[in-house]
Amino acid sequence: MLFVAESAEDFQRVPAPRAGTISAVTVLDLARAAEAALEANRARIDDLNVYPVPDGDTGTNMLLTARAVVEALEGGDTDITRAALLGARGNSGVILSQIVRGAFDVLGGVDEVDASTVTQALRSASDAAYNAVREPVEGTMLTAIRVLAEEAEAAGEASLDELLSSLLIRGDKAVAETREQLEVLRQAGVVDAGAAGLVEIVRGIAAHLKGEPLPAAPASEPPSADAVHLETSRYRYCTVYVVEGEDLDSEALERGLVGLGDSLLVVGDPSALKVHVHTNDPGAALRAGTALGILERVEIANMHVQTAQREERLSQSTDVQRMTDVVAVVSGDGNRRLFESLGAAALVDGGETMNPSTDAILAGIEQTRAPEAVVLANDPNVIMAAEQAARLAKTPVRVIPSRSLTAGLAAMVGFEGARSADENATEMKSLLADVSTGAVTIASRSVDMDGIQVARGAYLGLVDGDPIAGGTSFDAVASSVVDRLLGEPRDVLTLITGADEPELGSLLARLAEHYPEIELEVHPGGQPHYPLLLSAE
Amino acid sequence: MQLDAGNTAVVLDSTADFPEGPERFPSWRVVPLYVRFGADSYRDYVDLGPADFYARLREAPELPTTSQPTPADFASAYEDLADYERIYSLHIPRKLSGTWQSASTAAEQTGGGRARVIDTGTVSAGTTLLALAIQRRLERGTTDEEIGELIDRFRAEHHLIFTLDTLEFLARGGRIGKARGMAGQLLHIKPIMTILDGEVEPLKKVRGNRRAFKEFQDAFLAGSGDDPGLRVAIAHAEAPTRLAQLAKLVQATRPRATIEAETTLGPVIGTHAGPGTVGLFWFADE
Repeated sequence: MLFVAESAEDFQRVPAPRAGTISAVTVLDLARAAEAALEANRARIDDLNVYPVPDGDTGTNMLLTARAVVEALEGGDTDITRAALLGARGNSGVILSQIVRGAFDVLGGVDEVDASTVTQALRSASDAAYNAVREPVEGTMLTAIRVLAEEAEAAGEASLDELLSSLLIRGDKAVAETREQLEVLRQAGVVDAGAAGLVEIVRGIAAHLKGEPLPAAPASEPPSADAVHLETSRYRYCTVYVVEGEDLDSEALERGLVGLGDSLLVVGDPSALKVHVHTNDPGAALRAGTALGILERVEIANMHVQTAQREERLSQSTDVQRMTDVVAVVSGDGNRRLFESLGAAALVDGGETMNPSTDAILAGIEQTRAPEAVVLANDPNVIMAAEQAARLAKTPVRVIPSRSLTAGLAAMVGFEGARSADENATEMKSLLADVSTGAVTIASRSVDMDGIQVARGAYLGLVDGDPIAGGTSFDAVASSVVDRLLGEPRDVLTLITGADEPELGSLLARLAEHYPEIELEVHPGGQPHYPLLLSAE
Repeated sequence: MQLDAGNTAVVLDSTADFPEGPERFPSWRVVPLYVRFGADSYRDYVDLGPADFYARLREAPELPTTSQPTPADFASAYEDLADYERIYSLHIPRKLSGTWQSASTAAEQTGGGRARVIDTGTVSAGTTLLALAIQRRLERGTTDEEIGELIDRFRAEHHLIFTLDTLEFLARGGRIGKARGMAGQLLHIKPIMTILDGEVEPLKKVRGNRRAFKEFQDAFLAGSGDDPGLRVAIAHAEAPTRLAQLAKLVQATRPRATIEAETTLGPVIGTHAGPGTVGLFWFADE
C-alpha cells in the first residue's frame, strides 16, 4: 500500500522514495498485516499445537497478541512493546511479544523500510526472543526467527523484494524442518505451531510491503490423524470424507457441520472438499456432504479405540522402555476392545468354548515386539496350551493362569509394560487372588451338579467355575450369582454382557437397592454362550 | 541481606489454591491464571470461584481451557510490592504451565532484581505448604541462603499423591505426562499419581475408591515419620467426603502432624484434574 498524499503539507513530509524502498509504511499497517495473516491461519495453527503442551491454542494466542498491538496503535498508543507484553497470551504470545519488541526497536526508528532495516529488525527480534527465554528449545518459533535473521544477513545487497521472497522460502523450509528437530513433533507428524505462525506473520507483512493482497491461507492437508488426536475428544467418531461436485461452497458446508462436534476441518477447492469432524452423529455429518455432491473415501473410526492404540504406540516408542507385552486369549469384539484398551499387544481368538491351539497362542506371542511377554489364558482349559506355547517361544514368556475373561481383566490392571515378564506375572497373579468371578450361561444339556438341577436350555449360574443356581429366569439366576459374589465385602462389581445381550434393568435396580456402596461397571463384551460374565474385587 | 516479614513479600499464582493468603499475610499476593469457557475469559478465583466453576463445568457444552497470567499481571503485582526489598514468587512447574515463564519475564523487566521466581515442583496446596514454611522463617528473620536451602529440600523431599476419577481432563489439557499410556482405557481404573520433576507420573493403578484410599494410607505411612514438624495439606475437587476421610487418616496415622490447608481445587487446576480429584501433600518441616 503506497502512501497517498492528500495535501501539500503531507507531501512535503514524505521523503522521496528510493529504488527498492517503500516509504511511509506505518507501523499500524504492518501490525494489521500481521494480524490479518494470523487471522487467516489461526485454525490451522491451533491444530498443529503440540509443544509444550497440546492445548491447541497457539494460533489463537498469537492472533490475540497481534490484535492487542493493533488495538493499542488504533487507540493512539505508540508503546508497542508494552502493548504486546500486556496482550501476550500463552508461551507463544509471550515469545511473540519479545519478537515484536526487538523488531520495533529497529522499525520504530526509521522512516522507510528497506532491505537493510528488515535485516536489522530480524536480528534484533531474534536476539530479544532468545534473551527472553531461559531455556531456548530448538525446533520452535525461536529457531524460525533466528533462521530468518541469518538468511537476511546472508542476502547481502539484495533488494527488498528479493529479500522478502528469499525470507519466505527459507521460512517455509525452517517450519518444515521443525518436524525433525523436536521429538514430540516428529511423533505427531506435525510442524511447530509457533514457527508456522511466525512465518505467516512474515508472509502477511511481506505481501503488504510489496503492495500485494494477502495470499490465501494454504489449503493444506488436514493435520495427520495423529496430530488431531493428541487430545482425547469428547466425541466418539472421527468422520472423514471427500465430497466431489461443482461449485462446492466450503463455508456453507462448514456451517452445516459446526454444530455436530469438534476438530472440524473443511479444505479443498470448489470441485472437491475434504471434511474431517469429530462427532457423535456421523450420519448427520455424511448427510451434510451428500446434500452437496458425491461422497468418496468415507472413513468413520471409533476414536476411543484409536486413542488407546495411539497412546499404546507412543508409550512403546518413547521414554517408557517397553520390556513386556501381553498376549490375551479373548472372545467377543467388546472384550477385545477392553483388553486392547488396557494395553494387550496381541489377542488370540478363543475363550470359554473355543480353546485356541498351542500354535495359535505361539503365533500371538510372536506378534509381540517387546523382548518378553505374559500370556493371559482366561480359561482353565487354555492354561496348559499357554504353558506349552511359553516353553516353545524363543523369548521369555510367563503364563498368568486366569480362569476366566473377567479374571484376566482384573489381572490386566496390574500390568506395567516397563517391567519384566517375571515381575508382571507376580503382580498380576497377586491380583487374581483378590477377584471372584461368576457367569450366567445356558445349559447345553440337563444337569444335576452339586445339588443344582438345570434343564437343557435354562440359565445356569456359576461362581468360580462351580454351579450355584439354575432356572428359567435370568434375573433370578443372575441375582443368586451376584449375592454369592458380594457375600464378602467388595469394592467393584464388573458385568460383561454377551452376544445374546440380556436385559439388565431389573438386575441393576436390585443392585442399587441392596448394594448401594458397590462401584458398578457394565461393558458389552460380545462373548458367545455366556449372556453375562461377572467379577467382584 | 537479612530478610524478614517486613521486607520480604511472597507472590503465589492462583494454582496454589490459597486465595486467603493475602488476607492472612499483608505481604502476600496471588496472581490469577485465566480460565476460558468458549469466548468468556475469567480470572481464576477473582471472576470465577470453585463452586460456580464446577457448576458451570457440568453444564458447559465444551470443556474450558486455561492460560497463564501475562507478564504484565506479574509486573503489576511486583510493582504493588514496591516497598519490599525481596519477593519470593512461587509457581506451578514450568513443564505444566507457562506461568513461571511469564513471572520470569516480568521479574526481569520490572522486578529490579528483587524477585526470585521459583518452580516449586508441586501444585495446589503443595505450594501453600512451601509458602508457609518460607513465611515462618521470615517471621523469625532469615537469609536468601536459608530460604534457598529450604526450597531445594522442599523440592526433593515433599510428598504429593493424588487420584482422579477420570484421566479425560488431564489428557485433554495435555498435562498427562507419563500417564498417557493409561488414557483411553475402557475399564474404570483409578490412577494413583504424583508429580515428579514437574511432570505427572503414575505410581499405581487400582480399581475402586476404597483401594485408592488404601494406597494413600500406605504412601503416607511409608513417606512420613512421627514428627511434630510434619506439615500436611489436602485438596479436593467436589469430593468433600474423601477430603474428610483423608483428614481423619492423617490424624489417626500421625497425630502430631499439623494440617495447614484443606482446600478446594480452583477453576484452573480443576480444569485439568476434573471433579472427584483428591490430593494429599506433606513435608517434614522443623
